Order: sequence, then structure tokens, then C-alpha cells
Amino acid sequence: MNGWIAFTKKEFMEQLRSYKALTLIAVLFLFGMASPLLAKMMPVIFSQMPVQGISITIPKPTILDAWVQFFKNMSQMGIIVVLLVFSGTLSREVTKGTLVLPISKGLSRNAVILSKYFASIISWTFSYALAGVTACGYTFYLFGRFSAPHLFFSLFCLWLFGAFLLAVIMLAGTVVSGNYGGLLLTAVVLAVMLAVNVFPRINKWNPVTLASDNSSLLLNAKTVGDLSAAVWTTFSLTVLCLILSLILFRKKKL
Amino acid sequence: MKNILPYLPFLIPIAVIQIALAVAALVHIFRHKNYRIGNRGLWVIVVVVFEILGPILYFTLGKGDD
Repeated sequence: MNGWIAFTKKEFMEQLRSYKALTLIAVLFLFGMASPLLAKMMPVIFSQMPVQGISITIPKPTILDAWVQFFKNMSQMGIIVVLLVFSGTLSREVTKGTLVLPISKGLSRNAVILSKYFASIISWTFSYALAGVTACGYTFYLFGRFSAPHLFFSLFCLWLFGAFLLAVIMLAGTVVSGNYGGLLLTAVVLAVMLAVNVFPRINKWNPVTLASDNSSLLLNAKTVGDLSAAVWTTFSLTVLCLILSLILFRKKKL
Repeated sequence: MKNILPYLPFLIPIAVIQIALAVAALVHIFRHKNYRIGNRGLWVIVVVVFEILGPILYFTLGKGDD
């Protein structure tokens, strides 16, 4: 337990020193701020463009547009940024050999994985919450009082998808060696899930729906019940990935 | 241009964050000699040309270990 606390502290220290925390917070905050603004300004931007012969009519932007924009940015660019920031957290230490010393001094191997996962999920949660609160504030300022259906649930879905992705990164870091192997494997897993999404039958269970169906939740095209299956699979897959990486990391040569 | 004026209080913080990220990355680039991939010229171009994404790419992929 002591080792876990010490290693978690070291993880947070590293996130600060290596600019990881800075970039993640800055970028997600930016998305939170820019999304409602972009939704609001879309008609202004279009009206500034000189278009001859065509009259473009754009419906007045609504609160839902702001949140749709938010989820679009977050689920694409936001997830890519998370992937880039955290992909090397385990594999880099393995290739550099910096884990050899603490482990030979008695730090348990489980503690390494668990504290890495804990530290990364805390910074993901913090920066995501910051982005969500910022988006709430700016939407309120630009559009006035609002109530969006299932807003909290769809925010939670995307958060859970991020948590799942972090677990996949941990697993990929233990399975593949090399600096970028983990990143590549995680990208492959994402690509496979996106490809599988084509089949409507598996669709219901696919974790990707958590990141892609937020907008339809807001527009009432889907209900909470439609996504609950995906929430449970994602949750169990996250736990499974973590357990697998704990087991595999015990046998990994450092 | 008049239409954009009310949004300036929002656009300014966005610009500040973008510039701050780029400056932080540029300072780091010029203070360090070794990069994991690429060289100094490449990273300066990437950071300056690609807003937001450039500095992130530098901090995650390009930054060498101290």
C-alpha cells in the first residue's frame, strides 16, 4: 500500500513535469469553451462568407447544437489527445528500464499498474470535468437557461469510454514492447471496434457507441435503456483489461 | 466584423491558450537539443503551423527525455 501511494505521487509529479497535465487540461478546457461558441457563431461565420447566387439559410443555433458540438469535439479530438498523452506512460518506462530499480527494491508489480491507471484516470476525470463545467457555463451565458435531456448520462458515457481506453492503453503497454507499440495496439483496438460497429446486432454491446451516440441521446433519438448494455460491457471490459494487464505484467521481463 | 465584437471576450482566452501552448513548446524546443523523433527545424514548423495539435504532438512524441 505504501509503495502504491509513493508511486502514485511519482506519477502525478511526472505528469506535471512532462507537460502532460498541462496539455490535457488546456486542450480539453479549450474544447469546452470553443464548442458552445462555435455553435453560436456558425450563422455569423457563414454570413461573412461571400457566396454568389446561393442563399444559405441556417436555422438559429440552439442549446442542443452547442452540446452536439461539444460531444463531437470531445469524442474525436479529445479522445485522440488522451490517447497521445497517456499512450507512453507504461511502455516508455519499460523501454528506459526505470522500473527495474523500484521493483527490485520491493515495489510490487501490481502497484505499478494500479497507480499508473489511477493517476491517469484522475487527470482524465479532472480535465474532462473542467471541460464539462466550462461548456455548461458558456452555454448558459450564450444561450440562457437550459435543460438538455440525458445530458449528465451522456457526459458519463463519454467519461466511461475514456476510462475504458485508459485500461486498454495499460493492457497494450504490457502486451507490446517498444515505445509506440502500445499506441499502435490501442489504435488497432479502436479501429476494430469502429469496424464492428457496422453490424447492427453487435452495435448494442459495442463500447464505441458510448462515444458516438451522445448526440442522439440529447436529441431523444435514443434512450438511457438503449445504451445501458454498452455501459455494462464497457465497465466489465475495463475491469477485464486491468486484471489481464496485472497478470501479464507479473510475467513481463523488465 | 461588428458581429464578431461581442464574442471577443470568448475568443481572447482561446487565443491565449493556443499561444501559451505554442510558446511553451517553442521554449522547450530551443532549450533542448535531443528529440525522440525529428529535429529542431521540423518541430518549430509543426508547432507554429498546426495550432493546438502541434504543441501536443511535440510534448507527447517529440520531446526527448531529460
